Amino acid sequence: MPILQYLAQQTINALSLGSIYALVAIGLAMVFGILRLINFAHGDLMMVACYAAFFLVSTGIGFMPLIVVTLFAAALLGMLTERVAYRPVRGAPDVVMLLTSLAVSIFIENVFIMVVSPVPRSFRSVTPASLDSVHVWAGVSISTINILTVGVTAALFVLLLLFVTRTRVGVAMRAVSEDLLGAKLVGINLNRVILAAFAVGSAMAGVAGILWAARLGKIDPLMGFIPLLKAFVAAVIGGFGSLGGAVLGAYVLGFAEIFIIGFLPPELSSYRDAFVFLLLIFVLLVRPNGILGSTEREKV
Amino acid sequence: MKRSVIFALVLITALVAGSASLAAADTIKIGGTYNLTGDMASLDVPAANGSKLAVKQINAAGGVLGRQIQFVLYDGKTDSATNGNIATQLVNSDKVVAIVGNTDSDSALAIGPIAQAAGIPYLTAGATSPQLPSQVGDEMFLEPFGDNVQAAAGAEFAVNTLKGKTAWLFWDKGAEYTTLLSKYFKARYAELGGKIVLEDTYTQGDTDFSAQITRLKAMTPQPAILYVAALQASDAGAIAKQIRDASITLPMVGGDGYDGPELVGVGGKGAENVFFSTHSLMDAKNGDAKMKSFIAAYNKEYGHDPESAFAALGYDAVYLMADAIKRAGSVSSKAIRDALAATKGFLGVTGAVTYQPGQRIPQKTVTIVAIKNGVYTLGALVVPQKVPAP
Amino acid sequence: MKAQASSRPLRLLPSLTLLALLLAFVLLVNASASPYIARIVVLTGISIILVVSLNLSNGFTGVFSLGHVGFMAIGAYVSSILTLTLETKAQNLPDLPGWLAHVQMGFLPAMLIGGLVAAVIAVLIGIPLMRLSGHYVSVATLGFLVIVRIVLVNWTRFTRGARTFSGVPAYTTIWWVYGWLAITIYTVWRIVHSPYGRAMLAVRENEIAAQAVGVNVLRSRILAFVVSGFLTAIAGALWAHKVTSFSPGSFYFTQTFNIIIMLVVGGMGSISGSVLGTVLVTLLSELLRNAELGIHIGPVQIPPLYGLAQIILAVAFVLVVVFSRKGLMGDREIDWGRLVSFRGKGTAEGRNEGQGRPDQPQD
Repeated sequence: MPILQYLAQQTINALSLGSIYALVAIGLAMVFGILRLINFAHGDLMMVACYAAFFLVSTGIGFMPLIVVTLFAAALLGMLTERVAYRPVRGAPDVVMLLTSLAVSIFIENVFIMVVSPVPRSFRSVTPASLDSVHVWAGVSISTINILTVGVTAALFVLLLLFVTRTRVGVAMRAVSEDLLGAKLVGINLNRVILAAFAVGSAMAGVAGILWAARLGKIDPLMGFIPLLKAFVAAVIGGFGSLGGAVLGAYVLGFAEIFIIGFLPPELSSYRDAFVFLLLIFVLLVRPNGILGSTEREKV
Repeated sequence: MKRSVIFALVLITALVAGSASLAAADTIKIGGTYNLTGDMASLDVPAANGSKLAVKQINAAGGVLGRQIQFVLYDGKTDSATNGNIATQLVNSDKVVAIVGNTDSDSALAIGPIAQAAGIPYLTAGATSPQLPSQVGDEMFLEPFGDNVQAAAGAEFAVNTLKGKTAWLFWDKGAEYTTLLSKYFKARYAELGGKIVLEDTYTQGDTDFSAQITRLKAMTPQPAILYVAALQASDAGAIAKQIRDASITLPMVGGDGYDGPELVGVGGKGAENVFFSTHSLMDAKNGDAKMKSFIAAYNKEYGHDPESAFAALGYDAVYLMADAIKRAGSVSSKAIRDALAATKGFLGVTGAVTYQPGQRIPQKTVTIVAIKNGVYTLGALVVPQKVPAP
Repeated sequence: MKAQASSRPLRLLPSLTLLALLLAFVLLVNASASPYIARIVVLTGISIILVVSLNLSNGFTGVFSLGHVGFMAIGAYVSSILTLTLETKAQNLPDLPGWLAHVQMGFLPAMLIGGLVAAVIAVLIGIPLMRLSGHYVSVATLGFLVIVRIVLVNWTRFTRGARTFSGVPAYTTIWWVYGWLAITIYTVWRIVHSPYGRAMLAVRENEIAAQAVGVNVLRSRILAFVVSGFLTAIAGALWAHKVTSFSPGSFYFTQTFNIIIMLVVGGMGSISGSVLGTVLVTLLSELLRNAELGIHIGPVQIPPLYGLAQIILAVAFVLVVVFSRKGLMGDREIDWGRLVSFRGKGTAEGRNEGQGRPDQPQD
């Protein structure tokens, strides 16, 4: 394969991978921006959405209504976790919030392991057959699902940007994320805004989950862990507080993962994650708030 | 205060429950060690189901030596410390006379030494590392063939049937089974004159293989076959799918890790032209009488067909153990172990088991399954001519 | 002052009593318990060491490290490589470099070396990482865990890669474990009740204010991190020589969550909390695991529910974190002074003594 074609194919791979990471990271960043909470349960929201879709398929409803119901379910679950688990610990130190989300995550996972079996299930029954194809152009192939993923990521990113700049709720969210106390002072209803952020973030998780499962072809109760970890890394690298940062970090991560394997000798393929985490630690030391994050440190 | 009440209640319930599993008089207690939760669940749950079915059938037919079998099944949770705990519990508290279980070598190594130290024979249903008997000791027996056997069979099938003298080797670096399988494949394949033109790895948990697959695609000339050592059927299915998405139609060969409905379930059309070595084909139409009755019984008990050969392995392991107890004529663990070691021609659903003197891994025929039109069909039955040393 | 002179013998008494109780416990278990109970006791002891040393960094300094199990792995692998018999080494690790292939050590030197290696690595990664706070340091230490695992899986010459590392001599006995347990608790107690300890707590409560009064944040954190890493590695060595076979997967997220749950349930910032939390969670786990088989209470039969133990623990974890943030003990220690004191609840010294709050002027 000529080198240009190789480069092109790996770039396509990286874009596809980066896009799915971006979808996961955006939802995570939404919640973090508002509450400074790293939601460990984000991956599990993805998982629940996938299982909801999986079980709904047998009722025979069409694909689009299925998606809508699934996203609704994800949003509801997200709001429920906020109300029950996160609101009581609002304002607590970082560590406590981290532990709370960890606890919620472990709980949801174990419930699903017990109720649904731990054995992975095929997601093909949900994915429409039309998404199964592959397009080849000048020797470079890209599957329809990946095209869809890139498209959805771009569209949702634009929609979200419009949401946080043009709508009342969205602007209120930005206000809260910038200055919680100030937002309260100007009369923003904190509870409602935070619930809205969770709803949107969880719906995003639902979208990300369904596309992730469609790409991979299978679901299982612990499937949310890896995407969570990747989104984590992406958001830290790009800048945790902002949507743009999360997306940028996701693409950086996607390109790093693909290019490390693609351009280093095969013997080093298994070191990929080590390189990625070294990059993460490097970013944390040099620019702790991420590439797009602010450079200011916490002040008195 | 409320917390303490909740804790106390849970503790009391647990205590009651724990003490309630007493032995009924005059039964033969056989321990069952399976990872019903955790990463190995997809292989262990069918195997455990097979074992439980066998116990039920044996007891319905009158038991062994006139006594019923009590199958004490614990969940190892795919955690080595927990596996050690359940082994200790079975050996010391439940006082079982023999242990049957597990489909992975990690867990077998956590349980084996404890059984060995206590002189309790331990027959693994599906762990295939050929080093197990030498690592654990003379109480350790394997019901299935070893990985060196199935890798050799895979290599011979690739060269002789698929006529593939060049290969891409892709394996999971994060698991013991796949590390061993690829090592044995390399050895036998080279002996047969095969050449591995590109070797690449991934790690357990990876979901995207596009970078390595693209590297494969860039090879000129393309290898004749792909040997992919994957731990589970869903991994194999995902890899097959992504390979086909890259327009690579070469035959893909693997080991018994592929055995499971998720290979086609996840791989879809991508699972075409995929072959794997396993213990037997769950063939309700063309299988022999034993296979057909096993499938029917499994279906009746659990409401669906056996998921994979591991169900049959769990079933055979219990029957083999019961047969050994019968031949021993007693429930002394030593007698059972000796009878087990002398097994010749025991016919199970997955084939005949014979332990050569001093060997505790059976010589069994390897079944190569071929996926054609989404159906698991019989590709070949291979007895390897030469097997790499463990 | 008058209180000082009479406080010393009083402090000695509770410690000696505790030690005597521990000794009695160990002797009892050794003499009469079934191998199963003995095994649980040993594993619990190892978990206590893990959790108490984790508490030193996570609880007392507020640096929530998610990567401590990496140190456990280092201790396990290093000590095991050193104690393997020469034959086993030749069989399992044929590619070891010459000088290592001919080394076979006793348990104590091997575990100490394991601990030292971990300590050195803790210094190396502590220097850059301990500047970070809050979730940044958690994420960074998580990175450390992932990197350790990748090294373990790839450095096949030394670790057998992903393959099970077996044949480790079963040196761990209840004496070893509880001996180190006593040392761990003593060490952590002393650090926490020292000027270093007070500095750590100050940093945990308010980093900026602590800096303002001249506390060297970095130094106190690194000290806690290194000591904690050393002890965690010792626990890893003890664990390895009990289970005798393990693989890189034994030292990853599952083990991490296990000890975090024990730490949180017991209460971060309390040593007795860590002990209690660990014992409680372990006991609960084992009892529930037995309950999973199915319960027959007279005519009532509950079918087997595998996975029940994990759910109940998860629920307990959620309840503790959400409703009782500080866990069972929070910041408090068990009031041994009062329990042992013959003067009863009366005196101010007695109350001050027993509280164990390090910010009271005591030393």
